[in-house]
Amino acid sequence: MADEEVDFDEAVEIPDADPAMDVAPQETKKGGGRKVKGRGTSGGSGQVSGQFDTLDAKGGRGPMRSIEGWIICVTGLHEETQEDDIHDKFCDFGDIKNLHLNLDRRTGFVKGYALIEYEHQKEAEGAIATMNGEELMGARISVDWAFSRGPIRPSGGSSRS
Amino acid sequence: MAPDEFYVRYYVGHKGKFGHEFLEFEFRPDGRLRYSNNSNYKNDTIIRKEVYVNECVLAEVKRILEESEIVREDDKHWPEPNRDGRQEFEVVLGGQHISFATAKIGSLLDESKDPEGLRIFYYMVQDLKCLVFSLIGLHFRIKPI
Repeated sequence: MADEEVDFDEAVEIPDADPAMDVAPQETKKGGGRKVKGRGTSGGSGQVSGQFDTLDAKGGRGPMRSIEGWIICVTGLHEETQEDDIHDKFCDFGDIKNLHLNLDRRTGFVKGYALIEYEHQKEAEGAIATMNGEELMGARISVDWAFSRGPIRPSGGSSRS
Repeated sequence: MAPDEFYVRYYVGHKGKFGHEFLEFEFRPDGRLRYSNNSNYKNDTIIRKEVYVNECVLAEVKRILEESEIVREDDKHWPEPNRDGRQEFEVVLGGQHISFATAKIGSLLDESKDPEGLRIFYYMVQDLKCLVFSLIGLHFRIKPI
């Protein structure tokens, strides 16, 4: 992968749209009858509120462009898949700008997913349309966009009515 | 409680001569991934990034958690957070809620009453961090660490 530093000017700051959601579930769901196992992190070190950088997004549904291209996620990979296997199958749709085929830290085998970057949306679309549900090394793989322009379901999930 | 409830947060950090240095990430059920990294070494500033991931990425996070069987573990016999640092790990998944706190794990050779539990925790965290670093690194074109 390319190692150059990010140009932070390309990221925009947006105010936190929904600060109420930043409270950890543990605090919002007391009385829900769920038992929490563990020492707990109350009064802990959570830093997940405040101002976060995002790439400029219009919001809504659909794939989200990353800073230099379009990222797709391949799941269901056989543990012995190699980068070349992915390249051979996915270079038909366009130049692969980046490929992350991460390993299981314990076994050293492929964890089961890959992230692939194309420069153009059409290339990524082609890869998803053609490769989703295909077999690779005898394993049936799923291929879809890695990022979304906005929430993929109503915020907070179904239990927070 | 809905069985499809899902939440993950991991924090690791310490307070020392460079201030409060930490790394934290969080996945919400609507796909929002937040990543913070604060290192004051050489006046580095805080990095805070946010992006929505698609369903397939959330499914992969869940798979990593489920295969690790981390929710069957308990932090009761793990080392307490200390001056050298703390880790926090909170997961809501499959109707279970765990909220662990422990010290930084420098080595898996540390003497502990629950070495296998700690080992499962250690590798699960490595695998999740690896995924998050790839996602944030590719989306924002930064090297997260």
